[in-house]
Amino acid sequence: MKKISILGFVILFSLHVLSQDSLWPPIDNSPMDMSYFPVNYPLLKINKAADAPLVMRVIYSRPQKKDREVFGGLLEYGQVWRLGANEATEIEFFRDVKIEGNKVKKGKYSMYAIPYENKWTIILNKETDTWGAFAYDSKKDILRVDVKTEKNSGPAEVFSMVFSKTGTGANLMMTWDNVKTFLPISF
Amino acid sequence: MKINLLYNFLLPALIGGIMSSCNTEPRQSNKNDSAIVPAGKIDLTNPLSQMDKSPMDLQYFPVDYSKLKMLGKSEPMPYARVIFSRPQKNGRKIFGNVVKYDEPWRLGANEATEIEFFRDAIIQNQKIPQGRYVIYCIPQQDKWTIILNKDLFTWGLKIDRTKDVYQFEVPVVRLNAPVEVFTMEFENAKDGTNLLMGWDDVKTLLPIRF
Repeated sequence: MKKISILGFVILFSLHVLSQDSLWPPIDNSPMDMSYFPVNYPLLKINKAADAPLVMRVIYSRPQKKDREVFGGLLEYGQVWRLGANEATEIEFFRDVKIEGNKVKKGKYSMYAIPYENKWTIILNKETDTWGAFAYDSKKDILRVDVKTEKNSGPAEVFSMVFSKTGTGANLMMTWDNVKTFLPISF
Repeated sequence: MKINLLYNFLLPALIGGIMSSCNTEPRQSNKNDSAIVPAGKIDLTNPLSQMDKSPMDLQYFPVDYSKLKMLGKSEPMPYARVIFSRPQKNGRKIFGNVVKYDEPWRLGANEATEIEFFRDAIIQNQKIPQGRYVIYCIPQQDKWTIILNKDLFTWGLKIDRTKDVYQFEVPVVRLNAPVEVFTMEFENAKDGTNLLMGWDDVKTLLPIRF
């Protein structure tokens, strides 16, 4: 399956290069976004209201539901997903943190998830600046933790990742379609 | 045309949408433009928050580095990457109007634009140490001053000019056909890359050598 995907991608990528008739690219279908903790850190900073140091940020792309069944449909259960679209999702810690008791050192990591019906396995991996999960190599994992999923009251159209402050640090909240979950991070 | 048809419809269907097709989204009306005020990120605490009006993008040098890496055809590290947001023209005159001459402009929208060099670089004979910088410009009619600044992880509306570290002047090239969406791209060049920036009727190039 992985080989077929990569082959398909190579063909598509080559055609993409051939068919570029304009220098100026359109906006991506799944646009990129970033979220900081402390929440809204850049805005706090210019308003001189950042009273705590920068801890982390996530850079990800935002696919949309578009009437499709996402989990168990578009995304197969048990298969590694890039937690977004396009480039591999990146999380950067500006200090050491702990995730479910595991120490995670300051630095950049790519981030993936394996969705199941009632839980996701969240993966942090050392290979950054890559595209999607097509060349994902579990040998470069630095962390795998399971998080429980919950049902959303209504479907979320756009995939979202945002931080939310907790007593011991922050949760990385993730939601798309009828699923929501969070990854607890302490520091 | 055949290639476009194949590209747009057949292949994405074939490979089950592993990548987005090149159809553009219908453009949102954009009265409250985030080129000027931080609109679009109204409520980040709401996980169902809407998409930005000026969406973010990321470009690598070498060109398409992340895809080459996926295919196992890249060097271990990229040379450079830029993360910026993409405001749209929406029928307005941009330079000298929406973006004022002689005032700092964040080269995008929302968060300050960030450029990272993964190794030392040379711009106009100046050595730029490996690392991350905010990149912004001061546009004028015939030239832009491009500035690298060390006040990272900030919003682009207020630049702390005391943290400027390098600045360069580049000429403005006038375009016949206007560019709708602000674009930054790395072009291949001898011994390095040119960082191409274009919006409305203006294009500039910042030559970067490694």
